[in-house]
Amino acid sequence: MKHVIETEHVCRFFGEGEVGVAALDDISIKIEQGEFSAIIGPSGSGKTTFLQLVGGLDNPTSGRVWLSGANIAEMTGRELSDFRRDHIGFIFQSYNLIPVLSAEENIEYVMLLQGVSADKRHKRVREVLSLVGLEGLGDRRPAQLSGGQQQRVAVARAMASSPDIILADEPTANLDSATGAALLDVMRRLNEEQDMTFVFSTHDQKIMDRAKRLIHLHDGKVEQDETK
Amino acid sequence: MLIVKLAWRNLLRNKRRTLLTVMLVGFSLVSLILTDGMVKGMQEKLVGSITQTLTGEAQIHRKGFREELDEKKFIDDPVPIINQIRLNKDIQTFAPRVVFGGMIASPYNINGGLIYGVDAARELGISKIKEALIEGAYLSGSPREILIGKSMSEILEVSLGDRIVISAAEVKNGEISQELFRVSGIFEFGLSDLDNSLGFINLNVAQSLLGLNKGIHQIVVRFKNPENALDLQSSFYQNANSGNIEALSWKDYNPSIASLIGMSNYATVIIGVTLFLLATFGVINSLFMSIYERLYELGVAKAIGTSGPELMSLVILEAFLLGVISCIFGSLVGYFANSWFAVHGIPFGTYDFSGVILRGIHTKVALGQFTLLPSCVIILVLVSAIYPSIFAARIMPVDSMRRSL
Repeated sequence: MKHVIETEHVCRFFGEGEVGVAALDDISIKIEQGEFSAIIGPSGSGKTTFLQLVGGLDNPTSGRVWLSGANIAEMTGRELSDFRRDHIGFIFQSYNLIPVLSAEENIEYVMLLQGVSADKRHKRVREVLSLVGLEGLGDRRPAQLSGGQQQRVAVARAMASSPDIILADEPTANLDSATGAALLDVMRRLNEEQDMTFVFSTHDQKIMDRAKRLIHLHDGKVEQDETK
Repeated sequence: MLIVKLAWRNLLRNKRRTLLTVMLVGFSLVSLILTDGMVKGMQEKLVGSITQTLTGEAQIHRKGFREELDEKKFIDDPVPIINQIRLNKDIQTFAPRVVFGGMIASPYNINGGLIYGVDAARELGISKIKEALIEGAYLSGSPREILIGKSMSEILEVSLGDRIVISAAEVKNGEISQELFRVSGIFEFGLSDLDNSLGFINLNVAQSLLGLNKGIHQIVVRFKNPENALDLQSSFYQNANSGNIEALSWKDYNPSIASLIGMSNYATVIIGVTLFLLATFGVINSLFMSIYERLYELGVAKAIGTSGPELMSLVILEAFLLGVISCIFGSLVGYFANSWFAVHGIPFGTYDFSGVILRGIHTKVALGQFTLLPSCVIILVLVSAIYPSIFAARIMPVDSMRRSL
């Protein structure tokens, strides 16, 4: 099985000396293509730091991170930016859509950066809007959508360019229970139908129930790694 | 197109700030257009005052005549030169003259003066002698008529119809030649040098007085387009400057005015730079505020794959659009303001500028005010966007997004 994420003895320290904190301490994890995994643990356990590292947004203090077989430490800033654009989709807790663009334009944005032709972009936008159940709402701006609808747009944006990995940071935290569950079902379906790899950081029991693998972090260390 | 749309909508996010920035840059452009219009208007009036009053836009002499007004250095046969001038399509009109220094005596007093022998009909198209007359009539061709300045008439204590005698040296043998005239007109140019010492008589009388036969001292020229007077490579100068004949533009025989115009151009540049510096700081401030407001969003944009150069381009594009809107606004307001002052003038009262009496200033509308100046504004806005755009390009997503991922 192909490993889309691999960390080897990864440490991430913030601060120095006595005030220094180890956010991640000797983490070695392999995540395979098509996994639906959740990083769980209490606040301060290092979940977000882990996602930042495997999202290529931050560099480890020591250890190595491979994404789709590429060592991120060997990439230049531009290469890393291109890698994120082409291989990783992000879903954020607070949606983080571009407020001045419509739902369709938000979804189109990454493909535009990739240089995809306008025809292909518009076709793909219609496809993913349909997948997340937002047909007919593409021309609305984020402020004209509910929280659940915004998060669906964020999911659509993350998957529009067909990335290898989708990293989702507390994606249901700002949603009511029913909306969160419906959104998770969408993501689970994408995982099963399109073999997309999902990695969540979460406290949400609904995600834990649906995840195929749970990685428990505590004080920056892997406490437990269970596959259902 | 999406990037342009994004940049445009980003500008509309905070309409009040965008409007204030547009007004700051736009009114800087308006000020510069008005300053340029005013300086150009003043220069035109100054140059017009000088060239249209008496000296013309260009003159042809024998070499060495102008430096000392040496009557002996005259153009013996002006016909070939005049024929050349007639064939030149750039030339509107010309007038031949005899110029000499002489003693002007009345029954009561005596005064040194500079006498111009002029072709009365041709002179109408070159100088404003007729318009400057406050008493009497313009030259009609009668051999005894002379026009003198008001100040000179006061010195000589003469009035219309009184007799005066001009004494001058004949050019060939230096013998004193005298001629009797009757004051037929009194003029006032408003230029003390002219009103104190000039006299105008008919050309043929002056030629006879100096023994010049058909010779003349200068040919004064007016161009169809006054700007051509400064093109020393034009056919007029190329043809006229030959042998012992020289053709000079008004800048050559009015070097102090030429320097003043140069200085006023520098002043315009200094005012422009000052205004634009102020506008630049305004643009930088506005762009930085806009970036700080969107720091988190820009971090997200970078996280999902927007590269530093792409963010840089976005900020520069926003600045460009800001510059274009400002220029459209500034050019429109500038055009209407400048056009209004061009017609109605700026009432500065009467003032003396380098010996020339000017009354108010009428601004001048020029194409460059709406092409060159706005282009400079846009370039400056783009330059002022470089620093904020580099700042945006260097945003670290992990730092700006610490609240979430």
